Amino acid sequence: MSMDAYLDIDIQGLVVAVAMVLVAAGISALMETGVAKSLVWATVRSLVQLLAMGLILQYVIRQDNVWLVVGLVALMLLAAVQITLGRATGAPKGLVGTVLLALVVTMLLMLAVVAELIVRPRPWYAPQLILPLTGMFLGNTVSALALGLNRFFESMRERQAEVTTLLALGATTWEAARPSMISSIRLGLLPTVAQLASSGIVTIPGMMSGQIIAGANPVGAAKYQFVILASIAALTLVADSIIILLVYRRCFISYDRYSVPAATHQPSVRDLVRRNKDAGARGIPR
Amino acid sequence: MGGRPSATPVEVHLFAARDVTAVMPWHGGERTVFRGLGFHVDRGEVVDLTGPSGSGKSTLLTAFARLNVHATGTFLLDGKDSDAFTPQTWRSAVAYLPQTPTLMGDTVADAIRLPWTLGVRRGGGAREPGDLLSDARIRAMLDRMGCRDVSLDHVPRDLSGGQAARVSLARTLLTKPRVLLADEVDAGLDEGNAEKVADLLKDVARQGAAVVRIRHRAPDGRATRMVVLEDGMLRDVPVQPVTQHADPFGGKGR
Repeated sequence: MSMDAYLDIDIQGLVVAVAMVLVAAGISALMETGVAKSLVWATVRSLVQLLAMGLILQYVIRQDNVWLVVGLVALMLLAAVQITLGRATGAPKGLVGTVLLALVVTMLLMLAVVAELIVRPRPWYAPQLILPLTGMFLGNTVSALALGLNRFFESMRERQAEVTTLLALGATTWEAARPSMISSIRLGLLPTVAQLASSGIVTIPGMMSGQIIAGANPVGAAKYQFVILASIAALTLVADSIIILLVYRRCFISYDRYSVPAATHQPSVRDLVRRNKDAGARGIPR
Repeated sequence: MGGRPSATPVEVHLFAARDVTAVMPWHGGERTVFRGLGFHVDRGEVVDLTGPSGSGKSTLLTAFARLNVHATGTFLLDGKDSDAFTPQTWRSAVAYLPQTPTLMGDTVADAIRLPWTLGVRRGGGAREPGDLLSDARIRAMLDRMGCRDVSLDHVPRDLSGGQAARVSLARTLLTKPRVLLADEVDAGLDEGNAEKVADLLKDVARQGAAVVRIRHRAPDGRATRMVVLEDGMLRDVPVQPVTQHADPFGGKGR
């Protein structure tokens, strides 16, 4: 991948992109949808964040230092935990450790399988592979976990009569919580599965597009994209299952009595918008 | 438990509760519903629990089944502390029947077999719920409750309120609990069906179980004992005879 093989974006290009967002924001302001402000804010944020990430990646790739890579991955993990919990508004407090554990376990699995078994880069910590991989994985898993956690606790609250009846008939906490676990994992996985099924037909995933635009062999790009889509889908399921298995007992107190802990806070309109975003327009690697 | 000296033989009840206290969260603070209540019931008894609404009758029964998160106390079955049971075996023996029926499954038969899909009744898990509870037994139970018109492949959500309440009762009765804690099981029934359910519960008691009923209707003559929960106190009251208005054969309002 040489730097001059693809068409560089100049300042003018960035300005045009921002102008498009401003027009869209203007239209939505006229229609009083209430998303104009957050749209502009999110755009500014994404521009700054992406540029900063680009600079950091450039630096880390040039340095080629194992500790820098590990440090950056750790930082991304912590940010992922924070974002997951910020979005999982229906979940109770005190889940930091659980979410971190689920993410670390699946992260290690991913690095072991995708990087070291499938791609086998040299050196093993090759930052140009590990860092984008981590980013794509976390981006997907954060949404799935937030969605899954919200759904689980929501479902456990909705099913109060059902859970109580089940317990009264002699169900274990596992048996009483199972329908909520299933619906939560199913919902968390839905966007991932849809993405997997539609990739290559209605969408050319972002990573593959990027590689092709950058002049790589399309078949090679497709293989890369497939490996990553498939493993991210599988690992999202693993992360989701781990987290639900670790948290379901929190809906019960001693002697297997049903008591769902309070949500961290009531979902606001902004949270609902976010949640919709998680459920709908979410995509794997862009 | 077990370590206490028992110089004088104490009467062992089928079910006993001691020192039952319920403290509910209330407008940011706490409210004591009742404190230090004692209760016991024996084989063959039908005990009616009455009292004004909000006095904590359902709280007391859910405490007995050890389902209530706001209640504490000591609960004994045949003199054995509930802590010596797993929650599942305790609740299979001391069964709480909620006032609002919640039926899960695609058919009435599935809803009634639900308890047999649970580990506590499947044991090793080798046998299917259909083998553990036959269609014939379900049919017979429903017929006794005046549910001849409810077929086993009926969809539960299409049942009327009274039918659903009886299907829910059938589900719990077929598990043969030793103590049945029935929360207003006859509230939504007409006189004729309320009588059938009352007869059925009386029979269950005669066969060796104990029945505690929360009731709002006029006395129906089945109770062997009546207790009133009011202002945090539980007191025995004389068993009242069947009142004129509730006369099953007179048919007031039928």
